[in-house]
Amino acid sequence: MALLRVEHMTHYFGGLRAVSDYNLEIAPGQIIGLIGPNGAGKTTVFNLLTGIHRPSEGRILLDGEEITGLAPHHIAGRGLGRTFQNLCLWRHMSVLDHVRMAHYAKISYGLMGAFFGTAKRYRQEAEIERRSRELLELVGIGHLADQGVLNLPYGAQRRVELARALAVDPKVLFLDEPTVGMTPEELVQMMNIIRQLHEQLGLAIFLIEHRLKMVMELCHRIQTLVFGEVIAEGTPAEIQGNPQVIEAYLGKETVE
Amino acid sequence: MTGTDQATVTRGLPAAVGRLLAGVPLLGWLLGFLAAVLVERTIGDTLAQTLGLPKMPVLFGILTVSKVIAEIINAVVKNTAFDPALLVHIPAALVYLSVVYLLPIAAVARLGARAANRAAAIMDRWNLTIPAAVHIGLMYLTLHIWAAMSDYRLITLKITLIAVLLTLSLNIINGYMGEFSCSHPGFMAVGAYMSSLFTVGLFVDDKVLGKALMPWALDFLTFPLALIFGGICASVAALLVAIPSFKTRGDYLAIISLAFLFIIKSLFENLQGLGGARGIAGQPDWAALPVIFVVVGLGIWSINNFVTSTYGKALNAVRDDELAAEAMTVNTRQAKMTAFLVGAFWAGIAGGLLAHVVRYINPAMFGIQKLAEVLAMVYFGGLNSVYGSIVGAVSISLLGEALRPLEILKWIIIPLMLILVMIYRPTGLVAFRDFDLREAMKPKTEPGQRK
Amino acid sequence: MSLNFFMQNLINALQWGSFYALIALGYSMVYSILMLFNFAHGDIFMVGAYIGLGVSLVLLKVVGTGAAALVPGWVVLVATILISMFLTAFVGIIVERVGYRPLRDAPRASAAITGLMIGIILETSNILFLGGQRLAFPQLIESRTYNIGGIFITNKKIMIVVVSIGLMLALHQFVTRSRWGMAMRAMAYDFVVVPLVGVPLNTIAVMTFAIGSALAAAAGILFGLSYPVLDPYMGVSFGWKAFVAAILGGRGSIMGACIAGFMLGFIEIMTVPGIQIINRLFALNIGSNLRDLIAYSIVLAILIFRPHGLFGEPYSAKLRL
Ligand SMILES: Nc1ncnc2c1ncn2[C@@H]1O[C@H](COP(=O)(O)OP(=O)(O)OP(=O)(O)O)[C@@H](O)[C@H]1O
Ligand SMILES: [Mg+2]
Repeated sequence: MALLRVEHMTHYFGGLRAVSDYNLEIAPGQIIGLIGPNGAGKTTVFNLLTGIHRPSEGRILLDGEEITGLAPHHIAGRGLGRTFQNLCLWRHMSVLDHVRMAHYAKISYGLMGAFFGTAKRYRQEAEIERRSRELLELVGIGHLADQGVLNLPYGAQRRVELARALAVDPKVLFLDEPTVGMTPEELVQMMNIIRQLHEQLGLAIFLIEHRLKMVMELCHRIQTLVFGEVIAEGTPAEIQGNPQVIEAYLGKETVE
Repeated sequence: MTGTDQATVTRGLPAAVGRLLAGVPLLGWLLGFLAAVLVERTIGDTLAQTLGLPKMPVLFGILTVSKVIAEIINAVVKNTAFDPALLVHIPAALVYLSVVYLLPIAAVARLGARAANRAAAIMDRWNLTIPAAVHIGLMYLTLHIWAAMSDYRLITLKITLIAVLLTLSLNIINGYMGEFSCSHPGFMAVGAYMSSLFTVGLFVDDKVLGKALMPWALDFLTFPLALIFGGICASVAALLVAIPSFKTRGDYLAIISLAFLFIIKSLFENLQGLGGARGIAGQPDWAALPVIFVVVGLGIWSINNFVTSTYGKALNAVRDDELAAEAMTVNTRQAKMTAFLVGAFWAGIAGGLLAHVVRYINPAMFGIQKLAEVLAMVYFGGLNSVYGSIVGAVSISLLGEALRPLEILKWIIIPLMLILVMIYRPTGLVAFRDFDLREAMKPKTEPGQRK
Repeated sequence: MSLNFFMQNLINALQWGSFYALIALGYSMVYSILMLFNFAHGDIFMVGAYIGLGVSLVLLKVVGTGAAALVPGWVVLVATILISMFLTAFVGIIVERVGYRPLRDAPRASAAITGLMIGIILETSNILFLGGQRLAFPQLIESRTYNIGGIFITNKKIMIVVVSIGLMLALHQFVTRSRWGMAMRAMAYDFVVVPLVGVPLNTIAVMTFAIGSALAAAAGILFGLSYPVLDPYMGVSFGWKAFVAAILGGRGSIMGACIAGFMLGFIEIMTVPGIQIINRLFALNIGSNLRDLIAYSIVLAILIFRPHGLFGEPYSAKLRL
């Protein structure tokens, strides 16, 4: 059974049809790539699936349950972790607090715990901290845990987002251009981390990426989005050879 | 620190004093203050007389100095007679300050530093409640002795403590959550009126609220109930603001809450059953210093617990990037609502305390002026910080009292100071600092001594 | 309610609303440029009224009063308004320089606090220099009352409404026709466009404060003519209400500010007869001092259903921290 399934999703911004008749199926452990020229609607697809916008038409099912129209925090709580194309970090918070925050839906000590510091609270917070540090280690920035996020280099900030997305225990991990603006060195590291996450945790990943080389290497299947419509879907080899894709997309950009 | 490092060696008296007093733990300072108030209690009156001061200076001598300055200004501007002998009061007040406060504090803090550090180190190994109780007990003892020396001190201290609670409760909303709420005086008013309704209505014969309904010898034991009742009513009122406000983002809350403030004030002005514009007077004198100290302490403790929990940190996330917070499972609406209602609850409690300290309330006390005052405290002290709220409330309250003799000039000096703070530290003096009691109580390493 | 009675109140409402509208304009203009409210604006209105008082007293001394006057009263009035607008503009400019420019990159809340504090300083300075008494505003023109079909209208009311609307139209012309006005609008639309238009942000900010303050001064003088007692705190209640009007009109919308100003005046004036009617109809006894309560409840209700005000653009940025 598909882990994430999208049926006939369409979305309008005012009169603009940003996404039309979009379908998707992600099986457990699969890495799906979403490519397309600037302004094609890739980020909009992410925003629709994570509940930031409500789709005008269509259904979204996560693990067989419909999540269309739920509030973003509910959707995230059910297992959709994401990163953002333009970093969305909390500027006054430490790295560790970022990852802890993503456990919000899991804490259950309630207001009593919050105000009066019950034993349950300290137990849960300690557990969350332990897990958060683990996740930071996993993405390779364990040593930065107690720093503020603003002072970090760009690559590290991206990893904070990644660790934060992992903290919601995602069934599917959404990555929106995780390597944009990175140095070649940071890029290689990020690719290794993504591969490692996939191998160690068996995560299903939905990846938007501009660097085709990376998409071709990582993904099992690739969708090509142009003007909100999927014009081609297939394995990397199929996509690479698809004349439509070459015309709409590859033709304009050189493959790195 | 290595003593030979030239770069770190600073010169001058302040630096020397600073070096001398580095390494004194909180416990040492508290003992120093205790010593100072004990000194004042024994020799304060005599010393004041010897120095030619009319009576014991009430606010560390600052008030005495500003009184003299006020006299001088009056003499210059309004041509009133000025007695040059008054000038002596300035050095006298400074001597008083030094002999009674600075020297004992410095001496005890310095000489007792080693012992205090050792005690702090021992207590550091224990469960937090014991050292906390010791420190807080010492603090209360000091304040109690200090305040017992004059009624003026007592009421100033009470009002300052209440201001701390009020400021912190607004800091939850304006600092931690980053919204701009203007309705705090309104919540205070609700708390003040409702708790007065409870106490005056039930236990006091009153012109406005009628005969006491429950004459009972131990009636003062119900005071916490009255306060909580006031706080809950304030929370309910806050719900009315929160429901429409948090649907839309931006500075919407600022506007809705401002309109709410106008409405609530004018509502109280028009409710003849609650005394109308004249308000309610004759609250029982139940807000004794220990009561206020405990309530404010509980407030600080629980608010600090809240803002350091993941629930509370969620407010920071909402403030810094609401969308990201939602995407990371934070129920932002719930978080904002909770924070707003909690802020209003404590504002209501502060209002209830205030009503029973000044023992009269009327709608005019809870208007735009009060708003400006509490906003000033929050932003002066520092956003997103318990320390900041304490610093802001204490400094603005004490400054307000100390500058009282300057009359109207006070309202130029305080705003100017606040403007300067806003220009040079836009988020306030001690913003974004976590309040950690255990950290504060830790022993300090003395200079020249290695850990 | 008879038609006459209604018309009578309508005229009062127009006059009352003129003050709100003129002051609200200042709030809205600054907002459209800097995305923040100048909370000292109400007190600039007060300062404007006092400057008007000073200017008119000086002018009256120069030209003389009564039969011996060199020029008729309305000339003095016009001169007073123009000179005071000019002088008050400088007050606005100083406020911008001292209070707002150093905080251009600071959180907006800090700027709001600074504005509040400048307001307090202005009030206090007034008390300090003028002793805090209420001062009488000289009646520059003779009051005449016309009876038009049973409706009593004074020449002052007409003048106030006409002058206010005239100023609003002049502002409209300025904003839509002049190069600076265009730059202002471009700026309100988008920060980025401005360098293209070739006018630096600081110039525009200064100009906005100057114009807003000048309009507030005009409102102050017109207010002094009809309610001839000035006091140092007159800007507080008026300022906050005009601020509410600016919000009601829609943040940053000039037309919205005008219309909402008149609307607020209308609501405030009409609640009293409204309460009377309700009392009569339902045999109730609601006090007419509920005016503020009812007026603000209406405003609140409107804002709840139209969060962005009457003419405002949806706006979702948060207070910067
Ligand atoms: N909230 C919104 N309101 C209106 N239009 C929007 C909104 N978000 C996106 N759009 C529009 O939808 C279209 C698709 O934008 P989107 O950000 O999804 O593109 P993208 O494929 O992610 O591009 P890029 O590669 O640059 O990230 C664009 O034309 C954009 O202007
Ligand atoms: Mg995108």
